[in-house]
Amino acid sequence: MLHLRPHNLLVQKTLSEALEANTNGTPLTLDRIVSDFDYTTLHISNAPENKGVLWLSIRTKAWQSISQCGSGLVEFILTKYSGLGGVSAARTEPGYDFTLQVDLSALQPDAIVQLSLLKVIIMSFPFQLAFDKVAQLMQLPEGSNSTDEVHKIQYRDDENIFIKPSNDRITVIFETFFQDETDKVFGKVFLQEFVDARKRNRSIQSAPQVLFSHEAPLEISRVVNQGRSERSKRFITFVLFPRHFQTPELQFSSVCHLALFRNYFHYHIKCSKAFMHTRMRYRVDSFIKVLNRAKVDEEDDAQGDASRRTISGRKMVY
Amino acid sequence: MSQSLRPYLTAVRFSLQAALTLSNFSSQVVERHNRPEVEVEHTSAELLFAPMHISRNEHEQVLIEPSVNSVRVSIKVKQADEIEQILVHKFTRFLEQRAEAFYVLRRVPVQGFSISFLITNRHTETMSGAKLVDFIIEFMEEVDKEISEMKLFLNARARFVAEAYLGEFVY
Amino acid sequence: MEDWRRIDIDAFDPDSGRLTLEDMRPPYGSHVSLQELQPKISQLRSAAASGDFKTAVQIAMSDPPYSADDATKFQYLLAVLEVLTQVRQHDISTILGQLSLEQQDVLVKYLYKCMSIPEGQKQGGILLSWFEKLTQEFGVGPIVRYLSDKNTV
Repeated sequence: MLHLRPHNLLVQKTLSEALEANTNGTPLTLDRIVSDFDYTTLHISNAPENKGVLWLSIRTKAWQSISQCGSGLVEFILTKYSGLGGVSAARTEPGYDFTLQVDLSALQPDAIVQLSLLKVIIMSFPFQLAFDKVAQLMQLPEGSNSTDEVHKIQYRDDENIFIKPSNDRITVIFETFFQDETDKVFGKVFLQEFVDARKRNRSIQSAPQVLFSHEAPLEISRVVNQGRSERSKRFITFVLFPRHFQTPELQFSSVCHLALFRNYFHYHIKCSKAFMHTRMRYRVDSFIKVLNRAKVDEEDDAQGDASRRTISGRKMVY
Repeated sequence: MSQSLRPYLTAVRFSLQAALTLSNFSSQVVERHNRPEVEVEHTSAELLFAPMHISRNEHEQVLIEPSVNSVRVSIKVKQADEIEQILVHKFTRFLEQRAEAFYVLRRVPVQGFSISFLITNRHTETMSGAKLVDFIIEFMEEVDKEISEMKLFLNARARFVAEAYLGEFVY
Repeated sequence: MEDWRRIDIDAFDPDSGRLTLEDMRPPYGSHVSLQELQPKISQLRSAAASGDFKTAVQIAMSDPPYSADDATKFQYLLAVLEVLTQVRQHDISTILGQLSLEQQDVLVKYLYKCMSIPEGQKQGGILLSWFEKLTQEFGVGPIVRYLSDKNTV
């Protein structure tokens, strides 16, 4: 599996099962907690009075910072679900950030994928704000079309995404750091390849430009809180041009990939490590074989003694 | 095999051949003990032979410390950059954790080296000395090859992954 | 307090019979000092400078300063290293062919010693080809003699 999928497979599966069971007339009793990347938890449970109605709640680390990016987060999420029958807002479950109510009797199978994309939809809100801002800035005359607006998504404890719109581009900057020394070195190799990939391969010339630095880029130096673990921090910058967010479909696909960037690249670091582990295991086996070749076979000697016979065929006895 | 590797391995081979003349030797200090004298902390000097340093360059060296009943062979594997450093560290640790399958492997390398072997008279009695030497030589060849292959693989994978990711943005 | 279980009590016992490296040194009549050795070192250098490596190696390998102290030995070692690394690859065999048995043994000592110091490790390639030619010529014998020889360089 090369790419990570933006939707949550387990949510999709659970909802499909629930829908099928409901159409068969035997609604499932559900109370399922599903985890996703970056401290995200989803909770699927029955509404207390009616088994045909499910609650889908989400709690994510990024919620707080996203809701500070601009007003209208909840409305934004609801517009994404407005076209789908059976999905409506519900009172937020305690301990979670947001809850949707899903009426299984009115739910279309197509809507399930959209529901399992809940986390990405929440993450896409600041991106949407940035897309709108760019569109707005492009209309303004030269000179007055700049902004110092920067959206910050704090999606892990020490790792943030910064999104800065300007009149002809959007700069997305990932602030990341590596806990593990090995990951740090492997990460460096991978990030370097991200930077070089576009220059080397002509077929991906139109992909966003990627930059990599140890210090905060100028765009966000104002908002980055300088401080602890300064030296182990890394900044990865993606520059999105209008061709990457011309239509809503393109916007969505770009956001999906960007939201999963960190997961994607850590996933492949782990994969490389796993591969090396298998390889070492194989190599150890082959070394042991070479070493075992050195053993003097005692069986052979014993055989030699036993087969010592006199000329008449009697065994030698000592 | 590269031009400078061959004399290096030849030197190690001859030195090991000379050093692998081990005999059973009971401890002179503790009764009914039989220890590899090269590992004994305060052993008497007549039991140790002259150590042999073989170096191809600063980064690739072998130290052979012979004694009356044991030989300690320490190998410093080439580590050109931090990736190789990590790979060598991971690989040698992986081997050391499986030391009992290797009989002659020492669990901890001698200070300043990547990996150490300890060959005792017990080993030379049950194994053919020439084959043991072959093993060490083959090990040295393979480790270098393995490390550079793993490094190439890592780069290739990173390249592929990066291109696949960015390829998703091509519309 | 110091870990008394780890104290090496035998070291305090004069009758323990344990020998140190010092005890293993053969008794030398006199000790060569750096001043006494200096003429030989300059003789080496001038022979090497005039391109007569055969003589230089012959001189270097005859009567090495076994009895000198470590600092003096090191000075001599550097001079020998200089000579050995200046010799061209294809001259090595001819020079080796004219060495006596004792001189071969001394050469092995110097090769190992040179490879153990950082100055020599930088020149690993040429030292290893000396070593290779030596084993081609004389086999494993000089190395075995090296192992148990207590006359160190």
